[in-house]
Amino acid sequence: MSSTEPSQNKTWELSLYELHRTPQEVITDATEIAVSPRSLHSELMCPICLDMLKKTMTTKECLHRFCNDCIITALRSGNKECPTCRKKLVSKRSLRPDPNFDLLISKIYPSRDEYEAHQERLLTKLSMSHSQASLVNSITEGIKLQSQNRPQRSRKNHDDNSNTSNTNGNTENTQNGGSTSAPKEGATTASNPTPSGQSTSNPASVRSTPSPVPSNISSVSKNTSTTKRAKSILTSERSEESESSDGRTEGENSMDTEGEGEPLNPNEIELVFKPHPTEMTGDNQLMRALRDSSVRYLKTTANASVDHLSKYLAMRLTLDLDAELPEAYRLLNFCIYVAPAPGQFVPLAGSQTLRQINDKFWKVVNKPLEMYYSWKKT
Amino acid sequence: MAATRRLQKELNDIRQSGLKSFRDIQVDESNILTWQGLIVPDNPPYNKGAFRIEINFPAEYPFKPPKISFKTKIYHPNIDEKGQVCLPIISAENWKPATKTDQVIQALVALVNDPEPEHPLRAELAEEFLKDRKKFTKNAEEFTKKHSEKRPTD
Repeated sequence: MSSTEPSQNKTWELSLYELHRTPQEVITDATEIAVSPRSLHSELMCPICLDMLKKTMTTKECLHRFCNDCIITALRSGNKECPTCRKKLVSKRSLRPDPNFDLLISKIYPSRDEYEAHQERLLTKLSMSHSQASLVNSITEGIKLQSQNRPQRSRKNHDDNSNTSNTNGNTENTQNGGSTSAPKEGATTASNPTPSGQSTSNPASVRSTPSPVPSNISSVSKNTSTTKRAKSILTSERSEESESSDGRTEGENSMDTEGEGEPLNPNEIELVFKPHPTEMTGDNQLMRALRDSSVRYLKTTANASVDHLSKYLAMRLTLDLDAELPEAYRLLNFCIYVAPAPGQFVPLAGSQTLRQINDKFWKVVNKPLEMYYSWKKT
Repeated sequence: MAATRRLQKELNDIRQSGLKSFRDIQVDESNILTWQGLIVPDNPPYNKGAFRIEINFPAEYPFKPPKISFKTKIYHPNIDEKGQVCLPIISAENWKPATKTDQVIQALVALVNDPEPEHPLRAELAEEFLKDRKKFTKNAEEFTKKHSEKRPTD
């Protein structure tokens, strides 16, 4: 990496690492090396857009990587040098495509669209939570409005209100229930009751009826961020690609995190989901259909329970396998295990939350919780 | 458009990292190209106060560097009366698109903490800093007490 300017006799200045490194031994046995998605993040990231590399281009001299679009924009904007190290970059010809790197990324993140959709969601959610002042304002505004209206509110009005929040609750249920067609419709209904610009009335309607959401603040920000994001997805160029994952994920914010680069929040847990090594062997039909995508990386709220996970898994796999799986295997039932020691699999009860499992079984710091699934034919 | 997306990411990263020396980041929702924040230096004589800065990102960001200006008056050899600051990392000739805003902020905090009288914007302060440090420190401290903002307590 740290080469001197090529002088007449072309000398290279090697870093300590380069001087001392030895070839890596090829791993031929079953040894697995766990790498946290976070530590990978900086390697797979384009330093220009800070997203994951897309159509990787590598500079021929200094070997720095960028998205094709990003580096082209950089060259067009008159910066004729490497955006990472400022080495001269005459034109596009100083770059070469790096399909191997793209392949590597697609191996690590098989469901990249989903990852990106999630990033998008996270961003809007975060920027929402930071404009909390305005949020709190809108809530108090909503409460005020509500209390003003309460005395003269007619019966009919009230019914309307409870209807909207009921649809909200229902869509959440159907989505978690794991049917394949419901999520898309669910997504549209979920965003319907909150047309943009009505955020002040929104908290009121959520408050007025018992709905299965934990707290007012979070439900409000969830709703508003949902609509906001839906908009931003529509305007972004990736809209077609992210559509499929988009439909599924509305309303179940907590369950769908694949491979994550953000610092871990204490209320979230990273976990690796692998097929059970003995019960899910190669001749299992599901395994055959899954092939490479059988291992899942997730980050989700620590409050999610094993039941949530198995529903998520069922839906996720059903969606992924859509065409490949015979009709009879659509509804998948999973048994979920944790492996506190190699070879030891403890089946988990459905009501346990990830936090409980993590605290009870998982003592390895800095390594995502490892869980295993096996499939019961119903 | 690309600028907005990257800035959103950077802003979230910085907010989540919880920098002690750069706080209270405020960004107008309608314009993410302008950030305000509070520099909280550790070194005397500036550790008696906090200094508000504004970061302006060009629409061409990250291909063009951001600009930084001080909104709070500061007695510093590298920051002039108008609040302009000379920071090599964001000068046109040094700028790299791969430079992230948190690096820029760290460079700025380092400069505030340890003035560089070799490249002054205010020659008279640089001279005072080099020739009569006691006097400089006293002046800067008084100036800080008079003009700077309150430091966040936590």
